[in-house]
Amino acid sequence: MSGRGRMFVAGLAVLVLVLAVYPSFGSGYGVRSMLQLFMWMALAGSWNLISGLTGYVSFGHVAFFGAGSYTAAILITKAGWPWLAASLAGGLGACVLALLIGYPCLRLKGPYFAIAMLGLNEVLRALVSYFEGLTGGGLGLSLPTLQATVPVYYVMGLTAIGVTALTYVIITSRFGLRLMTIREDEVAAEAMGIDTFRHKLYAFLLSAVGPGIVGGLAARDQGYIEPISVFPLAMTITMIVMVLFGGKGTVWGPVLGAATLFIFQELVWAQFIYLHQLLFGAIIIGVVLLMPRGVLGLLQMKYRLPRTI
Amino acid sequence: MSPAITPAMIGQVIISGILAGSLYAMVALGLSLIFGVMRVINIAHGPMLMLGAYTTYFLYAGFGLNPYLSLPISMAVLFVLGAVLQRALVFRVVDAPELSSLLLTFGISIALVNVAQLAFTSDLRSVEYLTGSWVAGPFAFSKPRVVACLIASAITAGAFLFLQKTRLGKAIRATSQSREVAMVCGINVQRIHLLSFGMAAALAAAGGTLISMMIAIQPEMGQIWTFKSFLVIVLGGAGNYPGALLGGLLLGLIEQLASLFLTTQLSEAVAYVLLVVVLLVRPTGLLGGRQT
Repeated sequence: MSGRGRMFVAGLAVLVLVLAVYPSFGSGYGVRSMLQLFMWMALAGSWNLISGLTGYVSFGHVAFFGAGSYTAAILITKAGWPWLAASLAGGLGACVLALLIGYPCLRLKGPYFAIAMLGLNEVLRALVSYFEGLTGGGLGLSLPTLQATVPVYYVMGLTAIGVTALTYVIITSRFGLRLMTIREDEVAAEAMGIDTFRHKLYAFLLSAVGPGIVGGLAARDQGYIEPISVFPLAMTITMIVMVLFGGKGTVWGPVLGAATLFIFQELVWAQFIYLHQLLFGAIIIGVVLLMPRGVLGLLQMKYRLPRTI
Repeated sequence: MSPAITPAMIGQVIISGILAGSLYAMVALGLSLIFGVMRVINIAHGPMLMLGAYTTYFLYAGFGLNPYLSLPISMAVLFVLGAVLQRALVFRVVDAPELSSLLLTFGISIALVNVAQLAFTSDLRSVEYLTGSWVAGPFAFSKPRVVACLIASAITAGAFLFLQKTRLGKAIRATSQSREVAMVCGINVQRIHLLSFGMAAALAAAGGTLISMMIAIQPEMGQIWTFKSFLVIVLGGAGNYPGALLGGLLLGLIEQLASLFLTTQLSEAVAYVLLVVVLLVRPTGLLGGRQT
């Protein structure tokens, strides 16, 4: 490892350590903000796993967040599960949903997957409203009160680290190389003997786990969920913008994008909701046309950093 | 669940389904045209429909213009907007990987919706022009829907005649069959792309004008139409223009039947399940299309 690489790892270790002891001295608002930042890192990193690596755009990743929220909330309220186990089950629930959608849609090349994901969100919202007995319908579900912000903070942080570490492992593995081959040229990937359908499906399943767990944790943290609040289209848009802005198909791009945009969002844009969304639209257009490798791509060019990490 | 379903109810559902389906077919033909010619799925197709509806609303509310007379104006306005967007942004990603064109048109879609939020606010608006129904025996024919169906059928037929008979229409079909060969034959492919994008936006705008008299107008009314239009072209076969007709009618009928046997809430879920099943069983569409 080069000197610069060692410095980076050391800096990272210090950062993680500071974040680990942060709840003991940070303000309630600070802890809550960091918790949200971890959530966005996990969400952006998960979107990157399918869309950044394979090039199959998921326009409805928030569906997995919502599925995780409802799985966890139902297990907590109806079956009395502890929140940690329920959140992990939320990840599993999201994974099952991904299998149901991915199996028919990822067998095909082309835009089918993207559009199927575009509609998924509305459908889940309708289903959740319809099955009132289980989900509380439009009234939503109230979880038993529990002061768990600090434990949720740690689990959320671990999930963010877990997603980022998973991305690193995948990108530096043969599996990741195959996914990127699919992105660059799927026909060539097939000709080289890669089972493209299975690889795409595995990447998709992995990309659903993070949002599912995070959805469960968010449900526990908010204490109340209802169809509109857990399936917002704006959340998918934010994930996509974060990854594109940071640099898609890389390990640190989603982390960088999530951190930068989250801070801006908290400080500036929260007051101007439509302008903020308009700006997100403009960022997507600008990044696609002008800097497809995102901010990280610019940094890599300037400081000669490794291209994919 | 409805307690008893009479033959008259089934008849009514078929009528409503055909009335809705003709609109689906017209709007989806636009999406199909862009996909056929450029291999781009335009996520902003639905928001263009929304802008068409607003054009009609403002002409009606501001100048008291008959909403049916605003149809050519809203089509012309969106034709220009579509052509400008194609010339300024979309042409840059026509040959890029699919990821780029999907994300770009997604960005355009978000921008259009939020510009509409800023400019027009999210207040619900309506054009109350033609209301009520014609009644024939046990069946009711909603007036705005019948007129919309007639106009949509006329526009769709016109678009098909244009594609079949005129030199320009033939050039569009040639470009969608093979861009390279079209170029070799002396067709200006850039201009064909511009024209198709404009035409597609105009078809969406026509849809917007016609439904502005049926449902509330608001900035987020459009997105669901991107999904539905895509569903129509999957049912009919991607890149297969007559397929869009069949797909539109089928979607209209299935949605109406679903709302009869289930609830209206679930009819959207039924459309979705339909998409998944068609992709699983017959991914090339019912009439067959070109694999992409």
